[in-house]
Amino acid sequence: MKMSTMNKRQSWKLKFILILQACLISNLFFPSIAFAYVDPGSGSVIVTTILGLIAAVGYTFRKYFYKLKRMIRGKKAKEEQQDSE
Amino acid sequence: MKSKLVANAGSFRDPANQIYEIMPKVNGGKARILRGLSGDALAIYQKLSDEIFFREALSAGHIVRTSLLPADDEDAMSIMTDGWVGVLEHEPVPFVTYPYEWTFSMLKDAALLQLHLIETSLENGWTLKDATAYNIQWIGPRPVFIDVGSFAPWKEGDPWVGYRQFCSMFLTPLMLRAHLGIDHLPLLRSYIDGIPPTEAIKYFSGTKRLKRGVLSHIIFPAKVENSIAKRERDDAPARQRTPRLQSKAMVVGLVQSLTRLVQKLSSEIEHTDWSQYDKTHSYQEADFDVKKAFVLKHTSTIQREYIWDIGCNTGTFSRISGENCSHVISVDGDHNTVEQLYLVEKKNPDSNILPLVMNLANISPGQGWAGFERQAFDQRRRPDLVLCLALIHHVRMSANIPNLLFLKWLSSLQAEVILEFVNREDEMVVKLLTNKKEQYIDYNLEQFTAEAERFFTIIDREPLKGGKREIFYLKPR
Repeated sequence: MKMSTMNKRQSWKLKFILILQACLISNLFFPSIAFAYVDPGSGSVIVTTILGLIAAVGYTFRKYFYKLKRMIRGKKAKEEQQDSE
Repeated sequence: MKSKLVANAGSFRDPANQIYEIMPKVNGGKARILRGLSGDALAIYQKLSDEIFFREALSAGHIVRTSLLPADDEDAMSIMTDGWVGVLEHEPVPFVTYPYEWTFSMLKDAALLQLHLIETSLENGWTLKDATAYNIQWIGPRPVFIDVGSFAPWKEGDPWVGYRQFCSMFLTPLMLRAHLGIDHLPLLRSYIDGIPPTEAIKYFSGTKRLKRGVLSHIIFPAKVENSIAKRERDDAPARQRTPRLQSKAMVVGLVQSLTRLVQKLSSEIEHTDWSQYDKTHSYQEADFDVKKAFVLKHTSTIQREYIWDIGCNTGTFSRISGENCSHVISVDGDHNTVEQLYLVEKKNPDSNILPLVMNLANISPGQGWAGFERQAFDQRRRPDLVLCLALIHHVRMSANIPNLLFLKWLSSLQAEVILEFVNREDEMVVKLLTNKKEQYIDYNLEQFTAEAERFFTIIDREPLKGGKREIFYLKPR
């Protein structure tokens, strides 16, 4: 019971920190980009730029993570094959 | 005799192409769906049709079957007189439907198809010009993308222009139901171009803003749009736009993060009067078998093209009638019941049942530009037979629509009808009338029969539940 309350508290703390970070990031980008656009529809260019930047970090990380994973797996498989020979 | 060429009333937004419907020369013939292309659009299609990703999506059934017509095709030639340079032919979808008629899971599956197509397109140097939910239609319970003209070459640096439209048409309604339990269908019916973030933000206050995806895809876009609108209002001059270059990692990363978000959204099926109908109906097994046999008898005599099952519940009779019919359109006003039907049917690769949510006392109207852009439900494709089982007492007593008006509407469809009349003695009618001041004295079997005979010929009839109900097979006069 105590453990789950602790976990819940920790997860809320983590959520709060992440949200705070997201707000800080958007505040860094927002003013300089926002001034360049006029109509509300073009707001989506600002939004996709900022969300895209955040998404790109995850995309790049996942890309290299899977590459690395494949490399390690490939190496392991090769070693196992050589061992069995 | 020349075929009748009709420009589709909902296809006018993209100046590079236009959809035409070719009505059959003879009754019973097949309609053709053709797309006129401008010179540029034709060149783009020719390039696109060589792409492996496009061919794979076509063969997987993700994109509607499409082919380029030869210039000597008679119908293509008549379209080209309108100034189009090339003509594509698409396989017609069985029945056109709109997002405000889809359940949560249907909208979710349509969203995932849209995201899958944009992602594979971007990976191969292509993009989609828009992300409207009207570009998705259904073949049975399977979503299919119909707007081949939406594909366009993509070069690194271009943003995903459909992002805002995707959020308004798919993501926001999904989040409203998943996070807040709000019925997304009336909202989509009103906001036919999608729910704008500046409206959606009003539903999310306090800690609701912390729900998955809300801060990024509703609150943030709404704040940006509101701030721009505030700055540019009245006589403030328009400011110069400088397009921001977006890398492939940014665009594909955004699409992938949306895919993960949509996959995680879920909506529980609550127990309603109808969602457990196959277990909780008021029939004894033997009586229910009599009703099933009556429906089977009159739906299996000939192979029909279209059957509507209005008030379909969980689809027991849609399945029976679907055995001898090409397409069944199953409609019910209870979202959770239709959701349940969809979730079962989507697992069956041969299913010909298209489930739709609609209040039958307030069917989808003609709307959009000039009232024709989106067609009224009863103006789309005439059914050959309508199943209307144990519905009429709700139409009369819950929606207050006189039997005569309902029968008149049914007869306007010019279709055969199998109708189950639920008489006053039936316990479900008794339940409906309890605590009602109006007792609907005109609602009885004799009067109903007389009214039905004004519009239909009674071909067959059979009492059910020891005479508390009666099932009719009717042919229009």
